[in-house]
Amino acid sequence: MASGAGGANVAATCIQPENALSTVAILLSAFVLSVTALLVFIWSQRSSMFDKSAKAAEVIFAPGEIGTREDPAAGTALGLGNAELVDRARADASTAPLVFFFFCCAFAWLLVASAAGLTASIRLHEPDWLAHQPWLTFGRIRTIHLNAVAYGWAPMAGLGIALFVIPRLLKTPLVGAPFAFLGAALWNAALIAGLGAIAVGLSDGLEWLEIPWQIDILFVIGGALVGVPLVLTLVHRRVEHLYVSVWYMGCALFWFPVLFLVANVPGLHRGVQQAAMNWWFGHNVLGLFYTPLALASVYYFLPKIIGRPVQSYNLSLLGFWGLAFFYGQVGGHHLIGGPVPGWLISLSIVQSMMMIIPVLAFTVNQHQTLKGHLDALRTSPTLRFIGFGGLMYTASSIQGSFEALRIVNAVAHFTHFTVAHAHLGLYGFVTMVFFGAIYFIVPRVSGREWPSPGLIAAHFWFAAIGITIYFVSLTIGGWLQGEAMLDGSRPFMDSVTLTAPYLKWRSVGGALMAVGHVIFVVHFVMLLVGRSAGRVQPALLRNF
Amino acid sequence: MSEFHISPQEERENPDPYEGTGPVPWPMLALVALVFGFCIVYITRSDIETPSDWGDGRDSSELSGAKESGKVDGAALFASLCVACHQANGQGLPGVFPPLAGSEWVLGKDSTAAAILLHGMTGELIVKGATYNGVMPAFGSQLGDEQIAALLSYVRSQWGNSSSAVSVETVARAREAHKDRTAPFAGEKELPARD
Repeated sequence: MASGAGGANVAATCIQPENALSTVAILLSAFVLSVTALLVFIWSQRSSMFDKSAKAAEVIFAPGEIGTREDPAAGTALGLGNAELVDRARADASTAPLVFFFFCCAFAWLLVASAAGLTASIRLHEPDWLAHQPWLTFGRIRTIHLNAVAYGWAPMAGLGIALFVIPRLLKTPLVGAPFAFLGAALWNAALIAGLGAIAVGLSDGLEWLEIPWQIDILFVIGGALVGVPLVLTLVHRRVEHLYVSVWYMGCALFWFPVLFLVANVPGLHRGVQQAAMNWWFGHNVLGLFYTPLALASVYYFLPKIIGRPVQSYNLSLLGFWGLAFFYGQVGGHHLIGGPVPGWLISLSIVQSMMMIIPVLAFTVNQHQTLKGHLDALRTSPTLRFIGFGGLMYTASSIQGSFEALRIVNAVAHFTHFTVAHAHLGLYGFVTMVFFGAIYFIVPRVSGREWPSPGLIAAHFWFAAIGITIYFVSLTIGGWLQGEAMLDGSRPFMDSVTLTAPYLKWRSVGGALMAVGHVIFVVHFVMLLVGRSAGRVQPALLRNF
Repeated sequence: MSEFHISPQEERENPDPYEGTGPVPWPMLALVALVFGFCIVYITRSDIETPSDWGDGRDSSELSGAKESGKVDGAALFASLCVACHQANGQGLPGVFPPLAGSEWVLGKDSTAAAILLHGMTGELIVKGATYNGVMPAFGSQLGDEQIAALLSYVRSQWGNSSSAVSVETVARAREAHKDRTAPFAGEKELPARD
């Protein structure tokens, strides 16, 4: 209250120069011009597409007519002489060991991240548990959880999927795979060092950027080496038209190094700039790295499995360029109420709302593709995970757009509500899609089938029910917490104590998810030791 | 690169996907117009005409608001330094952090309470019949006499406590009396008398 009155006094005494341009007018004109330019740009892309569409489709589409779903009863869809099949087998042969290595790393980090996350969650309602180990205190174990997901599980799984999918879509064997092997090894070494540094209390002190910058140098080198074969393969590609999945994956591999490098250069940003940069990175690493990798996976695997083309190239364009243009500016909504220029905040809020457009373009496109084939969601493990993930993309993105509005943010900011939202996006959407993609890819790179449909179903239900409990409990608890903090007549401690039951439910949800992950990894080990015993029929889900 | 083997998994797959050229449905276009319109209205109505010289032109005295005759706020000091252990209700945590409400050490001799704040203490302390064995940090180098006096006066008047206010002079004398001390008081036996 006191500071509000002080602000009014200052405002009253402060006279603006007469000829100052209105900030609103500048912001509004910049916004309208840029969005109009974007729409014109998308239109021009679409027009030129029509010239090439017939040819492009020929290049992409095999002579074999659209097949049926992946189903043992359907038998073999294509003969051996088929050119696409040969390209596919060549592409897979060039990536298999590499993709396998990435997935093994991803599995290890998934388990580490689950253990750290569950520990952090339990610490919030059992603060005395393990209280004498400094590295197990909430501040460090939560950070370990975040970094193990952000730089371990998600990129290892996502890049592994990209390395598998891109050569297939370019009909070109991967060029320069040893670079990626070396890069992945450096990356994982960096992450081990980074988590160790956090555990002993060394940190850069910025959320999402905690790992000390000296270690970040290794990430930059490792990441660049992983990118080399993908660029080389693009250069050597044998198709003219790039399928939509390649746009997303290619751009994610370009965007992430820019984000990571700029954000980690020491001493470059200070004060308010540093805060603005922090959330520019923190939000973009979600929207311009994990999200495009997962969207690309949906765009590839969903039509692949049901055997129909993606319905609208036009919607794909709208979804891709919308994400590319709007997303980079949304991070400022994390700083609502902070000492940041008002125009920057307002711009980030309107761009958050504009994100509704690409999100719904994607959703409508997938829905049209899936229409009439919903029963495949029951039988195909990949499609079940990816279908769930796609729905959660829509849900978490729309929620995020509205969360950016000042009126919602005033309640939700600094509460568990935001944590629930983050998990709906990075778990409900990204992680579930990656699970689905891994279920498809592993039999291709290992030549072995998943041993047990029952374990796949168990993994799905533990994960799906776990994230549901997690999200619902934290969303309710977070909202009540925010309302309690805004109520001046209640002591602050009320807003803390009222969250206790919701935090316990969060631990229940988190434990279910962790059990699902253990089942997943055990199942993978069973596959490796040959428990599917020469079976060549896919593990399909029935009656689960 | 020519070495490859077509596995049954690869063989049974559908062809790789491609894109149809379906049109953008009109509700989608309507949505684009709607969201665009909303954002224009939002920017027009948003309160962002903050003078651009803000943040640079103001000094700290302007930003911190009107000063109340330089009086130190004991409640604010308590909230920032003490509340984590002794809790907002002054009850501490049973068995871990002793209470301040009704504590004989708080309500007793003011110079003793000042000495504890100045130098901190470790080891056994009996408060309201319960024995505590924790660590109280020293605030002598962090807080001035005036701040310690305000803090003690606040603690001695809250949660049912009603002892007299502590003067700056009392704290200054306590600081002088224990000026040779370098370590915290080791338990109750080293503390000065409380009454």
